[in-house]
Amino acid sequence: MSWDLSTQNPEDHALRLANALLRANGGTTALLQMPPATGDTTDAGQLGLNAPSFQSLPLSPVVFRRMRATMKEGQPAKYELLVAAVAVQAAVSELQLSSADTLFSMAASVVVGGKLFLIESIAVSESMGAVYMYRFLLRESASEWQMKQASQ
Amino acid sequence: MENAKDTFYITLRNRLATLNPNRTMILRAVTRPGILVEEGEAPVAELPLDVFVLRWTKLDADTQLPSILAQMTCEIHYATAGTQNNAGLDRGRALEAMDDELLQLLCPSSAQKMNYVQTQAAQMGTLIFWSQALFAPATTVRERMGSLATVDVFAFQEQGEQ
Repeated sequence: MSWDLSTQNPEDHALRLANALLRANGGTTALLQMPPATGDTTDAGQLGLNAPSFQSLPLSPVVFRRMRATMKEGQPAKYELLVAAVAVQAAVSELQLSSADTLFSMAASVVVGGKLFLIESIAVSESMGAVYMYRFLLRESASEWQMKQASQ
Repeated sequence: MENAKDTFYITLRNRLATLNPNRTMILRAVTRPGILVEEGEAPVAELPLDVFVLRWTKLDADTQLPSILAQMTCEIHYATAGTQNNAGLDRGRALEAMDDELLQLLCPSSAQKMNYVQTQAAQMGTLIFWSQALFAPATTVRERMGSLATVDVFAFQEQGEQ
């Protein structure tokens, strides 16, 4: 058995291409709902008594689309959110996190167009080992979400 | 009923912090004992590993007594995939450890009912008490082993309590 040990020079062309394509094809902004930097350590905060005070972390460009779904009765619709890795990298660096996984594990939900969605799963698209795009599978949330237009 | 549910959770959480201080999780930027109430947190696609998750399901009330006796069923879900150091091969042992921890958390099977709605938690006049845990058969989904224990929690409704 032999291994491929040839050198592969990572380039960011896929990263830039994904960024440009997502921006050109209806690119919009999604808001990750992140916990505040200093969390609520009180008992009330763990019992659902205190408002969680989530902070919105913008990700842009993203493309939001409804999945070509097999419709099931009583099941909320599913959506797909394509996020440029550039946006995720910026968010990771802004919050000084170790990785994108940490960022996603902290996110409670995501808001797109003033509507709240739950994150079902996250997949990545790579080129030569470098992530250029994240794909979020979203499910519509039952709870209503009041968003101020100014904050979008 | 809400006071009884809150008291049950806080009691188990405090006992867990003493019993196994290493079982912690980071949730909403807070490091806390590895136990949570499902309905008090953001919904997730899959329950977290190595954490006890309380899910309130059934409610019964005995109205024939001088005070209404509420009986609430609490499902305690937990799952593990073992540890990274052992490549997950210790998941059976890890689940067994959680079984044992849960049994210890539930003893003694009563606690003073508290009101946590006020800023300073206030002691109420009665106790809450609960049944022995009923364990369902463990489930395995790929490397994830899960277990479910069901506990009936009883509490008297006090005057003015909702």
